Amino acid sequence: MIRFEHVKKRYPDGFEALQDVSFHLNRGEMAFLTGHSGAGKSTLLKLIMLMERASSGKVAVGGQNLSNIPRRQIPYFRRHVGVVFQNHRLLFDRTVFDNVALPLEISGMSQRDIGRRVRAALDKVGLLSKEKLTPIQLSGGEQQRVGIARAVVNKPPLLLADEPTGNLDPELSAEIMKLFMQFNQVGVSILIASHDLALIHPLHYRVIELNQGSVISGAGND
Amino acid sequence: MTEIPKSSGARPAESKNAVQHYFENHQKVAKSTFLQLIHQPLTTAFTCFVIGIALVLPALLSVLLANIENINKHWDGSPQITLLLKKGVPKLDAGVLAESIAKKQSVSSSQFVDNEQALSDFKSRFEFTDAIEFLDENPLPHAIIVRLSPNLTVISDIKQLRDSLLTLPEVDSAILDAAWVQRLQSITHLVERAVWVIAVMLSLTVVLVLGNTIRLAIENRKEEIIVVKLVGGTDAFVRRPFLYMGLFLGLGSSIIAWCLIHWVIYLLNEPIEAFALSYQFEFSLSGLGFLSTLFLLIFGLSLGWISAWLAVRRHLDEIEPN
Repeated sequence: MIRFEHVKKRYPDGFEALQDVSFHLNRGEMAFLTGHSGAGKSTLLKLIMLMERASSGKVAVGGQNLSNIPRRQIPYFRRHVGVVFQNHRLLFDRTVFDNVALPLEISGMSQRDIGRRVRAALDKVGLLSKEKLTPIQLSGGEQQRVGIARAVVNKPPLLLADEPTGNLDPELSAEIMKLFMQFNQVGVSILIASHDLALIHPLHYRVIELNQGSVISGAGND
Repeated sequence: MTEIPKSSGARPAESKNAVQHYFENHQKVAKSTFLQLIHQPLTTAFTCFVIGIALVLPALLSVLLANIENINKHWDGSPQITLLLKKGVPKLDAGVLAESIAKKQSVSSSQFVDNEQALSDFKSRFEFTDAIEFLDENPLPHAIIVRLSPNLTVISDIKQLRDSLLTLPEVDSAILDAAWVQRLQSITHLVERAVWVIAVMLSLTVVLVLGNTIRLAIENRKEEIIVVKLVGGTDAFVRRPFLYMGLFLGLGSSIIAWCLIHWVIYLLNEPIEAFALSYQFEFSLSGLGFLSTLFLLIFGLSLGWISAWLAVRRHLDEIEPN
């Protein structure tokens, strides 16, 4: 689903965030991406969702070489990658329902289908009863679950998460992880960046470890 | 598990309904943008007033221009050319010539004045008739007074007509009473030029003011723009609400400008009527007709859209998730 081949990322200021990164994530697999802050986790995720472009090397997602996607086509590509952010990036001026509906509005779905899909996604994360509230009325854990509902409402084959439990206590974090595992069980490929080793080690998924811009373990047999 | 489609095929697959959904989205965005503007009535009214006032001046000048042109058309003193005929042209021939000139397209009427009639007119108007008694013969030639068609207002066209009349063998000389035509025309040209200059400068102001308003709106919704881009919103989708905002503000401004113009005309009409009456001249300003109103609305809408588009291009593309 994801394949990095000798990927380098150097920012305009000269900082080399990734140096010669190669790894792959199989279709339907779930894996964790760990490393200290500044190890390159965020940069790696940004390359996958085309917020940044690799300086050299090859990034392929779903068999498609990302360097072949022109700027104009990026929005259409992003509709197939669900992303969960650490700070959830919810819009506070609209309801939970409208937040989750956003990706569907963008892809031009009819209002009736949107209602059906949004409620299905909210049901999966256990927030069906709160669709009319605004995010500000929800707890931190609930806000993150809205973020997850928004990421999966499009039914993307690939789900990325950047420190999804960063601001949550262990109990809520475990619940969030359980949600990801459920999505993985129905076939969604998932890559989760997290430095919370105590949370991820007991889960027995592959752990890809980054250190100073290089993969030091868990790259996958190739 | 669905494969990630190649990007070219990634547009909504239900193409049958795609157009319908596209319009559905437009309707929805238009409605929510409109509600947003209504929710900040003071800010919106302020912006529309500033732009409305900027639109009033050129519009008012063009109303004035239309009114001047109106005077030009309806004033009874349409320009005339007096043709003095050569000595010895028989009276009968001169009458025939006058009739044939009257048939020309750019001539509204012509009047033959025979030299005896002219002499007696002259005698009745002036005091030195005794002097004329000493002359052996009537010194005046036959003349034809040619009244020009009111459509003929361009001075060069009038001169051209005069020159063509001069080539007639019976005509000795032609006197064109053109001074006032020229004056009115230069005033009209002046106002026309002023309207253009002011319209261009104020349009630029409108674009800057609206552009700034929309820049602020973009700034306020930065977070939303980033999220929309992250979940796959195209540039067109991101731009849409701001373009609608420009259209609505432009429309509101033209409506305000329309009201202001009619208010100003109402205020000016009384003194202008009194002024015109002092010249024994009945005249009152007419307001914006249907076409001018339509033009004003379209002008406001276009300015709004153009400003929004410029602001969006300048600022929206800068906002990239990072």
